[in-house]
Amino acid sequence: MSLANRVRLQGSPWKPVLVAVATLIVGLALTAILPDQKWINIVTSVLVASVSLMGLGVVTGSAGMIALCQLTFAAVGAWVVEWLFVNEQLTFFGDFAFVVYILIGGLVAAVGGILVGLPALRLRGVNLAVLTLGIAAAVDLTLLKTGFPAFVAGMRVERPFNLGPSSVASDRGYLAFVIVAVVLISLMVVFLQRSRWGASWKSVAFSERSTASSGTNVRTAKLSAFAVSAFLGGLAGGLFDGQIMQGNAYSFTTINSLGMYVLSVVAGSYLIDMAIFGGILFILIPEILKVFKIDLQWGNVVFGILGIQALTTNSNLGQDIRNAIYKRKMSKVPPVELNLAPVEEKKVVEVPQGTGRTILKVRDLGVAFGAVKALQNVNLDIEEGTIVGLIGPNGAGKSTFVDALTGFLPHHTGVLTLEDIELDKLSPSRIARVGLRRTYQQDRVPDTLTVGAYVYFVSRGKATPEEIADTLEFFGCPDPTVPLRSVDVGTRRLIEVAANVAAKPKVLLLDEPAAGLSHDEHIAFGERLRSLPSKYGVTVIIIEHDLDLVRSVCTSITVLNFGEVLASGSQEDVLSNPEVLKAYMGETELL
Amino acid sequence: MLTTALSGIGPGGYYAVIAVLLVLMAQLTRVVNFSQVAFGMFGAYISVALMSGQFQQSIKIGIKLPQVVAVVIGILVAGLISALVGWIIAQWLPEATGTARSAVTVATLLSLISIAYILFGSRPQPFKPIIFGPLMELPGGIVITKISVFSISLAVVVAIIAKIVLSKTMLGVRLRAIADRQTAAELLGVNVKLMNVAVWFFTGAVSGLLIVFIAPTQSSDIFTLSMLVVPGAAAALIGAFKNIWAGLIGGILLGVVQGFFAGLPDLIYIRDWIPIIVIIVFLLWNQRKEVWDVAR
Repeated sequence: MSLANRVRLQGSPWKPVLVAVATLIVGLALTAILPDQKWINIVTSVLVASVSLMGLGVVTGSAGMIALCQLTFAAVGAWVVEWLFVNEQLTFFGDFAFVVYILIGGLVAAVGGILVGLPALRLRGVNLAVLTLGIAAAVDLTLLKTGFPAFVAGMRVERPFNLGPSSVASDRGYLAFVIVAVVLISLMVVFLQRSRWGASWKSVAFSERSTASSGTNVRTAKLSAFAVSAFLGGLAGGLFDGQIMQGNAYSFTTINSLGMYVLSVVAGSYLIDMAIFGGILFILIPEILKVFKIDLQWGNVVFGILGIQALTTNSNLGQDIRNAIYKRKMSKVPPVELNLAPVEEKKVVEVPQGTGRTILKVRDLGVAFGAVKALQNVNLDIEEGTIVGLIGPNGAGKSTFVDALTGFLPHHTGVLTLEDIELDKLSPSRIARVGLRRTYQQDRVPDTLTVGAYVYFVSRGKATPEEIADTLEFFGCPDPTVPLRSVDVGTRRLIEVAANVAAKPKVLLLDEPAAGLSHDEHIAFGERLRSLPSKYGVTVIIIEHDLDLVRSVCTSITVLNFGEVLASGSQEDVLSNPEVLKAYMGETELL
Repeated sequence: MLTTALSGIGPGGYYAVIAVLLVLMAQLTRVVNFSQVAFGMFGAYISVALMSGQFQQSIKIGIKLPQVVAVVIGILVAGLISALVGWIIAQWLPEATGTARSAVTVATLLSLISIAYILFGSRPQPFKPIIFGPLMELPGGIVITKISVFSISLAVVVAIIAKIVLSKTMLGVRLRAIADRQTAAELLGVNVKLMNVAVWFFTGAVSGLLIVFIAPTQSSDIFTLSMLVVPGAAAALIGAFKNIWAGLIGGILLGVVQGFFAGLPDLIYIRDWIPIIVIIVFLLWNQRKEVWDVAR
C-alpha cells in the first residue's frame, strides 16, 4: 500500500469540485451560444429533470427502495414557490427571494417525505411503493381540483434577478441560473453519497441487520434517504416553476412519476452523470418523437421495456459502464488477494491473560421460540482483555446467544450488562454504539461501497483514516480504495472483522470469522486475533468450529449444548472434560 | 347519509376483488402486482375494440365481433399478458426479493398504460354494459345494483376457490411449496415456472373479467381504471397481503367509507385520500413489532 493511498478512503475530494467547475464553465459557455429559445428550454428541462432523478437515485439506486411519487414532491416544491410568490413573502431577500423560495419548497417536500416515509419504512418490502403510488394518484386528483396558487391568482411567477417574462434573453439568463443551481446540487449529492449517510443508504439496501449492528438506526438510514430524495424533488419542482412560471397539475402526473422511477433504475441515477443522461432521455425522447410526429406514449413504452430489462438483470447502464472501465483498468494489475502472511516470530503475542475485571455479565439468559428452548439459564462472566471461545455442536444455540446479546431477540429473559450498562432494553444499533459489536456468519458486507468507505461507515468516526488503513493492513485486507464488489467473500468477512475492530468496541463477538480461509490463513489470522486485546483494547468472544484456532487464541472456553452451558473455564479443563468430548465429538470418538 | 355510504358498496366490491387477487399474488408468487388492474384494463379495452371494429381513430378492423366473443377474447388477453409478465419474472428473478420482483410490475404498468393510449387513444371508450340496473330497492331508498352484487360475489367466489384449491388439493400443496421455497420445490420435480405462470394467468383473467363488467359503471379512462390498484392494495394491506378474507372485507369497507365522504360536499377532497389514510393507519398499527429483513 503506497503512502499516498493510506489516508484516502475513497476518491479524491477535489475531483468532484474540479469536475463541477469545468462543467460550470462549459455549461455557461453553452448557454451563451445556444441559438434559439426552444433549445434553451430543452436544456433547462433536461437539467431540472436530472435533479429530480438524482433524488430518485438516492432512494432507489442507493437505498434500494421503490418510490413512485417523485413528481409529487416536485409539485409540492412548485406549489410552495408559487404560494410564497403570490403572497409576497420574504421579499426582504430581494433578488435572492426566489432562491429562498426554492429552498423552502425543497424543505417542505422533505418534511412531506418524512411524514410519508415514517409509517412505511419500518416494515420493508413494497409498502413504500404502495403508499407512494397512492399518494401520487391522490395528489394528482387534488391538484386537478385546486390548481396552483399562481394560476388561481391569475399571476405568473417572476424569475430571479429581474430576468423578466419569458423571452430569449430571459430564458437564457434562467438557464444560466439553473446551471449554477444544478452544479451546486450535484456537488451536494456527491458529498452526501460519500458521507456516512450515503454509506448507510447503501448498507441498508444490502442488509438491515448488519446496518443495525454497525450502530446505525435502520429507520434513520431509510428516512434520511427518502427525505433527501424528496428534498431534491422539491428543488426540481421549484426550478421547473421558475421555468414555466405557472404550474399545472399536468406537469406532475403519476404516470410521469412512474416513468421517472423506471428511468432512474435503467440509467442508475445515483451516479450524477447518469442522472444527467437520464434527464436527457426523459426530455429528448419526447422531443424526437414530436419531430417525427410519433405518438409521445412510445417514449414511456420504451422506458418500460428498458426498465423490465434492467430490473430482471439487476443492472443499470451507469454501473455497467463503470464496471467495464474498472475491469479494463484492473486487467493490467493482479487481482485483489488476501495478504494474510504469518506474523514475524518476534512479534508473536501469547494468548492474552485479561485484567481480572468482568466486562460483560450474562445472567439467566433464556430464549424460547414457541415451545423450543433455544437457550436457558445461561450464565457467563467475560473478563476484560481476554478472548473467550464459544463452542458447541450445531444447534447448540451459539448464534442465538449472539443474537440475544446484540439486541435482535428482544423477548429474551434474563439480564445482560456491559460494564454498567443494561443491554436488555436497547435496540441493536444502540447496543453497537455502547460498545458491543458483532460480525456475521453470512456475507453482510454491502458490495456497493469501497473497502475504505465501508470501514469508515462501520467504525462510526471512531478511527482516523490512518488507523483504518493500519487496521486493514494488520488483517492483510485490500487497499481502502478497492471496491468491495471485486473482493471475494472470505476476504470480505475479514474486512468485516477489521471494520468492527476499527470501531473500537469494548466487546467484539466474532461469529465463525475464519470460515472460508485456508489452513495457513487460519494460523495467521489466529496470531492477529491474539493481539487484539493488547493492540486495540477489545475483549473478544469467538464462535468457531475449528478447534485448532480456538486452542491457539482463547484464554477460556465456554461450551454450549442444547441451549445450556455445558462447561466453562480454562482451555485444559474444558477440552479434557468428558462431557464436552461426548457432546462435541460423539461418544465413539473419545480419544 | 346512510344511502351515500351504502352506495359505496359498489366500488367496495371492485376493491374487494382486486384485494383478493393481490393477496393471492403476494402469497403465491411473492409479487405485489402493481399491474394487476392494468392487465384487466387492457383486456377490457381489447374487447371494446373488437366489438366496435376499430382501435384508434386510424386503426380499423373490418369486422365487429359479437359482445360475448369479444369479452371472452378480452379476458383471455388479460390473462395472457399477465402470464407473460409472470413468465419473465419466474425466468429471470426466481430467487430475487419480493421488492425486486414487484418492481418489474411497475415497469409493466407504465408500458401497458402507454401501449393502451397508443392503441385505443386517450378518450374513454364507450363500454357497453353487460349487466346494469338495480337488483332490488331496500326500504329508505337504498338501491342495491346488480353490478355490486356481481363484484362482491366474484370476490367471494375467487376467495373460496383459492381457499379450497390451496388447502384441499395437491395442486394447492405445490403452489404453496413454490411460494415458500421455489428452488426446493423445483428439486422435488415440481414444474415451478408453469405453476407460476398459471397463477399469473388466472389472476390476470379474473382482473379482465372484473374490468369488463365494471368499466361501464364508472369513469373508464385508461389511467383511472389502472389506478384502481391503489384502493385494492389499501384493502389488501388490511390483511397484510396475507389474509384473503381481511382483504375482501377491507375492500368493501373502504368503498363504504368513501361513499360516506362522497355524501359530504365540504369534504369532497378527502374522498381521494381515503385509501392513503387507510394505508397509513394500517402501517402505523402494524409497526408495533420490529421486523428484520432476514431471520438471521
